Amino acid sequence: MLQDKAHPLLSVRNLTKSFSGKLVVAGISFDLYPGQVIGLVGENGAGKSTSKNMLCGLLEPTDGQILVNGQTVESNEGHAHGISAVHQELSLFGSLTVAENMCIGALPGSRLRVDWQQMQCIAREQLNFLGMDIDPDAAVFSLGAGQQQIVEIGKALLHADKVLILDEPTTSLTALEREKLFRILDKLKERGMAIIFISHFLEEIYRVCDSYIVLRDGHQVAGGALAGVSRRKLEALMVGRALEESADHGDVSDTGTEALRVEHLDSADCRDISFAVRHGEVVGIAGLMGAGRTEMAEALFGLRPSTGSVHVQGALLTERSVAAMKALDVCYLPEDRRNNGLFLNRPVRENLSAAAISRFIRRRLLKLGFAGERLATQTFSRAMGISIPHIDVKVDALSGGNQQKVLLGRWLASEPKVLILDEPTKGVDIGAKFDIHNRIGEIARAGAAIVVISSDLPELLQVSHRILVMRKGRIVGEFRRDQFDSVKIISLAASTGEEGLAT
Amino acid sequence: MKTFSGDALTRQKWLPIAIANAVFSVLLAFASPAFLSLANFQSMLVQSAVTAIMAVGMTFIIITAGIDISMGAILFFSSALFAQLMIDTQSYLLAFAAALCCATLLGGINGLLVVRFRMSPLITTLATYSIYRGMAIHMTGAQNIPVPREMGFLGNGRVFGVPVPILILLVIVVAGVYVLNHTRLGVYARAMGSSTRSARESNLPTAPVTIMVYAIGGFVTGVAALILLARVGGLQSGIGIGIEFTVIAAVILGGTKLTGGSGTVIGSVFGAFFLVLIENGLNLMNASPYIYDIVRGTVLLAAVMVDRLSVRRQQKALLAVKAARFDQPQSVGSTT
Repeated sequence: MLQDKAHPLLSVRNLTKSFSGKLVVAGISFDLYPGQVIGLVGENGAGKSTSKNMLCGLLEPTDGQILVNGQTVESNEGHAHGISAVHQELSLFGSLTVAENMCIGALPGSRLRVDWQQMQCIAREQLNFLGMDIDPDAAVFSLGAGQQQIVEIGKALLHADKVLILDEPTTSLTALEREKLFRILDKLKERGMAIIFISHFLEEIYRVCDSYIVLRDGHQVAGGALAGVSRRKLEALMVGRALEESADHGDVSDTGTEALRVEHLDSADCRDISFAVRHGEVVGIAGLMGAGRTEMAEALFGLRPSTGSVHVQGALLTERSVAAMKALDVCYLPEDRRNNGLFLNRPVRENLSAAAISRFIRRRLLKLGFAGERLATQTFSRAMGISIPHIDVKVDALSGGNQQKVLLGRWLASEPKVLILDEPTKGVDIGAKFDIHNRIGEIARAGAAIVVISSDLPELLQVSHRILVMRKGRIVGEFRRDQFDSVKIISLAASTGEEGLAT
Repeated sequence: MKTFSGDALTRQKWLPIAIANAVFSVLLAFASPAFLSLANFQSMLVQSAVTAIMAVGMTFIIITAGIDISMGAILFFSSALFAQLMIDTQSYLLAFAAALCCATLLGGINGLLVVRFRMSPLITTLATYSIYRGMAIHMTGAQNIPVPREMGFLGNGRVFGVPVPILILLVIVVAGVYVLNHTRLGVYARAMGSSTRSARESNLPTAPVTIMVYAIGGFVTGVAALILLARVGGLQSGIGIGIEFTVIAAVILGGTKLTGGSGTVIGSVFGAFFLVLIENGLNLMNASPYIYDIVRGTVLLAAVMVDRLSVRRQQKALLAVKAARFDQPQSVGSTT
């Protein structure tokens, strides 16, 4: 692969993507030379994955150009142009063998006779090059996550030889496997391959890349050679936006009684979680995707098997289940509201009253129906600022923000003492976000204990009295409101080492 | 060096059902000396031939994570078409060709509907089940139609002493095994059943493959229809009712996953034979024929339960691996 190092393999000009009018990637431009590794960094939702999908041909750009070897690509088909991506979620076939998985894009032999021997040779050669001792005949589901990752890279390399895009390739790898992967990347680099490396972990960016691009809210805010750019500066670029401080966030008095105490909660994806929340307090939980935050909340509610103890208002819970929690007025608002929280094809009225339905049931003979449900839900929808024509509109027809308000409203209808919110403003527009933040503040002032899990750090800084940072299933740090520092929190959440454990 | 590997992992999939067949046969041999005769085995094979042939096609469909409920209706339709054409034209060639072509076409239509409109295969084929059967009844006026006596050869004749249905089954099985393990179609079918998302991201030709597997299902159903017609001696209105469930049961017993991705043709054939074996055993024990369905259902339930248990064990092992990962030190590669 003798390519001119002076001419870019891949050039991107003003690449733009919007989904139904919402700008997700707002014009990124860069050049990628043979042997170069560019690190694409940014917070969750900054537009990294969308950019990747446009580059490998899974998404059609709304605007902008992609040039390969100086030639404008009309309709990008990814591997037809030598560009291949390893997605965060691997695109492998579990029940097929390693060799079949690698070669499936171009099976050797004829249509009616697949050449197994040649397939084996190709796979073996590829695995040898990658330095992995994997049996080409092994079924992929029987391999570990690290080996699967290598198979996926081998597959990607067979389809494309110019540009390799890696999206968060290390999230499921052990330290050892990660180091192995980095050595493979070094080797590919020497061969003149250009690599785009997407990662949350800045240590990895510094280990692997020689250039960087920072995305924030879809905009390319910085880019260039990595040498000489400090990690702190990179973090500041990622977090970026100035935070509008809300005025009325006085510190909670330390006298509030304890509403929720979790001790040594252990589950498959979270380890030894201990914390406590007082009445009137909002505790934020920060961390990267996959840090085990949602899993922690689910373990807390008995939705996944776990050990450890949970106290509510000072009393130890013997059996953890959603029903038991609800009886104690402890509520959980899940992250995936479309699938786990809302009855999409039922009216707003029923969705609002679902958690508190027992209050509306008349218990006298011959008097069926739900007394006062309509009135109560109307009051609620007005209080929550849900904009709907009438109370019997199906939830499916509402916007994301309004759906979230309905879900929030439902749990407020049951007047919770403890409320756990998982990504309460995900996919919600600014106005609705503001409303939801205000509601969270109001409920807390009314005496509820609230835990907010969010990937949106500015949001946590806005609403929380205290922030806990999770990384790889553990709580690794705690910040009081007067210690809030977004750069510190991000770097703690994203570091791979054990540094900064004590704050 | 191993010469072929297409089913390195699927190879064992049919082993449990093969063992079940063997164990059950031994038990029956002890229970009744009449069981262990070549004649009895031949007759059991002939009995299972129709289901087994259809099960070969169903295996392809289920491996892509699809299902075809309309197979019984296709069976009935091609039987009806054959019988009607024999009455109307007296031409064997025309009747054979039309029956097989139409069966393939009806299967292909199922596949087309599933892939073109992204409909659930269950609902789609439930609808076409009704349509195909209705068309056949409309065509024949719901009459019973006898077929010529020579047709009997397909059902009861012998070549070199081997019953014809067994020979046909053999050909279909060999072809099925080859297509599933040695052609692109087979690899794509297994891949699609394994992960639809990966299939899309890998740019596999999902539409033609889906249509092909349903068409294969239709074709083998057409073949089965001719054998059944020959054995029964003519078209009867009850032909094919409920047979798709026996066929699906055979495939599941054979170790093919309803969720798609893995399975074997051989396993399905063993599954079909096992169902006949049970019937034979109950027969030898002079059990009431009314309990056949109960036993058949129980066996299927047991097979699915055993399968679920093994899946759960796998998931548990995976969780354990995940948990171990968290306990490992994560300090390598830190640069700060």
